[in-house]
Amino acid sequence: MGIVKRKSAYVEYAQAVPLKYCIDGDSCIYIQKGKCGACKKFCPTGAVDFDQKEVTETLKVGSVVLAPGFRPFDPSKFDNYQYAKLPNVITAMEFERILSASGPTMGHVTCLSKDEKEPKKIAWFQCVGSRDMNKCDNSYCSGVCCMYAIKEAVIAKEHLGDALDCAIFFMDMRTHGKEFERFYENASEKHGVRFIRSKVHSVTPVTNTDDLEVRYVTEDGELQTEIFDMIVLSVGLEISPEVSDFAKQLKIDLTPGNFCQTATFSPVQTSKEGIFVCGTLQGPKDIPQAIIDSSAAATAAGEILAEVRHTRTKTAEKVPEISVTNERPKIGVFVCRCGVNIAGVVDVPAVAEYAASLPYVEYATDNLYSCSQDTQETMAQIIKDKNLNRVVVAACTPKTHEPLFQETLVNAGVNKYLFEMANIRNQNSWVHKNNPELATKKAKDLVRMAVHKVALMEPLEEAELQINPTAMVVGGGISGMAAARSLARQGYETHIIEKKSQLGGQALNLYRTAKGEDVQEKLSDLIGEIETHKKIHVHLDTEITDVEGFVGNFETGLSSNGTEETLEHGIAIMATGATPLQPVEYSYGKDSRIVTALELDRKFIENDSGLKDLNTAVFIQCVGSREPERMYCSRVCCTHSVDNALQLKKLNPDMNVFVLYRDLRTYGERELLYKQAREQGVIFIRYTLENKPQVNIENGKLLVKTVDHVIGRTLEIETDLLALATAVIPNRDDKLANFFKVPLNDDGFFVERHAKLGPSEFATDGVFLCGMAHYPKPIDESIAQGQAAASRGVTLLARETIFTSGTIAETDPMLCSQCGVCVSVCPYSAPSFIEEGPFAEKAQINPVLCKGCGLCVASCRSGAIHLKGFDNDQIFAQIYALNEAV
Amino acid sequence: MPKNVIGSVMVAGGGIAGMQAALDLADSGYYVYLVEKGPSIGGRMSQLDKTFPTNDCAM
Amino acid sequence: MSEWEPKIAAFLCNWCSYGAADLAGVGRMEYPPNIRVIRIPCTGRMSPKFFLSAIREGADGVWVSG
Repeated sequence: MGIVKRKSAYVEYAQAVPLKYCIDGDSCIYIQKGKCGACKKFCPTGAVDFDQKEVTETLKVGSVVLAPGFRPFDPSKFDNYQYAKLPNVITAMEFERILSASGPTMGHVTCLSKDEKEPKKIAWFQCVGSRDMNKCDNSYCSGVCCMYAIKEAVIAKEHLGDALDCAIFFMDMRTHGKEFERFYENASEKHGVRFIRSKVHSVTPVTNTDDLEVRYVTEDGELQTEIFDMIVLSVGLEISPEVSDFAKQLKIDLTPGNFCQTATFSPVQTSKEGIFVCGTLQGPKDIPQAIIDSSAAATAAGEILAEVRHTRTKTAEKVPEISVTNERPKIGVFVCRCGVNIAGVVDVPAVAEYAASLPYVEYATDNLYSCSQDTQETMAQIIKDKNLNRVVVAACTPKTHEPLFQETLVNAGVNKYLFEMANIRNQNSWVHKNNPELATKKAKDLVRMAVHKVALMEPLEEAELQINPTAMVVGGGISGMAAARSLARQGYETHIIEKKSQLGGQALNLYRTAKGEDVQEKLSDLIGEIETHKKIHVHLDTEITDVEGFVGNFETGLSSNGTEETLEHGIAIMATGATPLQPVEYSYGKDSRIVTALELDRKFIENDSGLKDLNTAVFIQCVGSREPERMYCSRVCCTHSVDNALQLKKLNPDMNVFVLYRDLRTYGERELLYKQAREQGVIFIRYTLENKPQVNIENGKLLVKTVDHVIGRTLEIETDLLALATAVIPNRDDKLANFFKVPLNDDGFFVERHAKLGPSEFATDGVFLCGMAHYPKPIDESIAQGQAAASRGVTLLARETIFTSGTIAETDPMLCSQCGVCVSVCPYSAPSFIEEGPFAEKAQINPVLCKGCGLCVASCRSGAIHLKGFDNDQIFAQIYALNEAV
Repeated sequence: MPKNVIGSVMVAGGGIAGMQAALDLADSGYYVYLVEKGPSIGGRMSQLDKTFPTNDCAM
Repeated sequence: MSEWEPKIAAFLCNWCSYGAADLAGVGRMEYPPNIRVIRIPCTGRMSPKFFLSAIREGADGVWVSG
């Protein structure tokens, strides 16, 4: 990003994949002027090739997924912020690099001015390049900047201490994602981040310093000034011209914001058949949403190719495994130089020589790069030639490279568990570079410990289990149906379990989408497809009574009007949805003119003739959301109310329409609706949680009182309709959560495997989630997540079989004293008592459920449990090898 | 469905979205060509320090 | 101050601390080389016997992290 200079031969960043150097052609002296070439001369492996030319390849494919991403908005053209001129005005992306431990300042937060001082006051400016038609053309909301600014402020305080002053200048705080509202609340309450609702006018440098004076206008129109050391511009996301030109070349329709045009009911389908879209090109979004729609795009791209699944993939040939039973250990040790990464510090030949002297070591050598393709082949050959039956690789970390070396063992016919790594790079040469002598000694110790352990390793088996190619979807709403449709299109039998007597869920109550589609029309198309699809079986009025089994082989008890049946399935998807809150405030229930948002939709659906005759309509937002007892934003209500306000204006342009809100959260291109509503005269009045609107019914008049935030005066509105945007409440089902051993959060939403990278699956294998059971979301996002859950499920079903891990616990029933500690202590319910036979009432461990943590092994007071691969003798061997003299 | 369908997919872009799509497709039994303009995959997320709201490391 | 440096045996959980020690390397952080790491699948695997035998084998300190 140009915060500091880099050489023209570079690695993008320390954790780049692949971790390879490349050459920046624009700055390389050799490429530009034909001089230098030093890198070619010095490279020990001859990897530098200046003769590489651009080549054009043509690929024939069945479908295409576009994920070209965004570019951060470039604020150089805004003269009021003076980004280009002032060193201490930076972008949020630059600030991310400053916070990063592997960034240019090694994670030390400093100003970029020459004095490199630690900032005492930092300001963030929101909506730079977003929600702005005056200075740039990006009228949409980028959807992520509010949260990243809060995160940066909190982390900056972690780096520099609480004395650091962080202020965020914003228009509306848009924390509409899962757990975001609490994060916002904590930033303000616990961390003392200041939130200043304002519009920034300009930045001017304080004379003779690099400090910056900010002039801003508060909500009530006052001009204020404040001085900061550093200003971070919360730049928006935009589609680069190259990407939009590329999309136009493909004849793909784009939106006004240059994002890909998609329909609400097919959120990842471009206007061109066979081409799908995900990530920011689909619309500005955060990471979990990008992950959701990339899985959705994957299944959409796969659905049209289901018939030719597995025709292009390659299967590796299996080498028969040699038996090592009754053979004495014959250990091979391979010590890696990792170029100069290890060899620059550790005396690698000395380590290899030492390894050769250890017991049972038949062969020891060193490699320049053990992980390179050719070394792998050589290693496999050596293992075969020397009849080695155990291998130690002293190199980087097993966390990244163990699977690779294990594959080499398998290719040489050796069981992959007869292997151990000594971590002499990440945990040695990289951290002791000023102490080569002791680092070499440590490397020898680590190799010795690994050799002692590997000598005791035994071949382990991985059980192969058939996966039942059937899916069960719990919930027949929009999201569950989208999941079922994708699964069926991918060729898998799918059962939908619905409590109610009808498919459709909450969508049955919705009038139109934010993009203007008729929900009921699209919904009945979807229901029609579900009901007629041969592979989809719908179970209405059905409850789940019991769940047995595990990934690949679940058995679920179903009960429907007194009839019981058992469904066998390989995977399960939780799509249990949500319900609107029944409000207890704003006089709801006391007057027929006071309705919820969905009741208003019902009036629209039924073409209620009374709507166009209204003189005045008022919407109140956040009814039950963002309150202490429900500290989350319901995400859908702002857009819903704005759209309904517009619909009322369309019916009767003279109607007075008011929206009373706390922060207006029309994220992404939904912002355009907000803009349109203001242009058409809808009046938006902000209120605060401390000063909520008052609703009174006096002499048949419906009166709403609220304080206008701009003029600071109380307004009284006499209205004919009051629509309450009520909170979205999950259909919390503790029984179901318990059946599938999946967690719920305090609000009653399911907790996914990973907030960012695993939004549509659980930590429990074979169980997935989608829709509003995860978090409130509009139809397009519900459908995308339904597809995503299906996609994640298909990755399992397509395998047909699964292998359990070999490193699992096993009981010795002869020693078991039946105390039951293992049964109660295991977080995965893997141990149980044997029910019959000679060992009845002794403990056994289900190898499929066991995650190999070893908790039961350490807790077993009889020493009756062994953890294969980390057994007592193996760990003791390492401990005993600690102190041998080198 | 047309005849001669090809069981492979091209994914354009090696950021998190492209990588996730490629992984899902490959695991579902389709051959994937992941095409990226830059020298490494990872995209914008790899430039981030921590991610909200859990403050997990972005790497 | 004497030249004496304690020898430390570290039992690190594969899923967190062991990975953190790897990242310390990626970040090129420096620390004294008198530590020997034993990777365990989870700190739940840690047994008091491991602790005692490490001390018996001459470790001056045992660090369990996970």
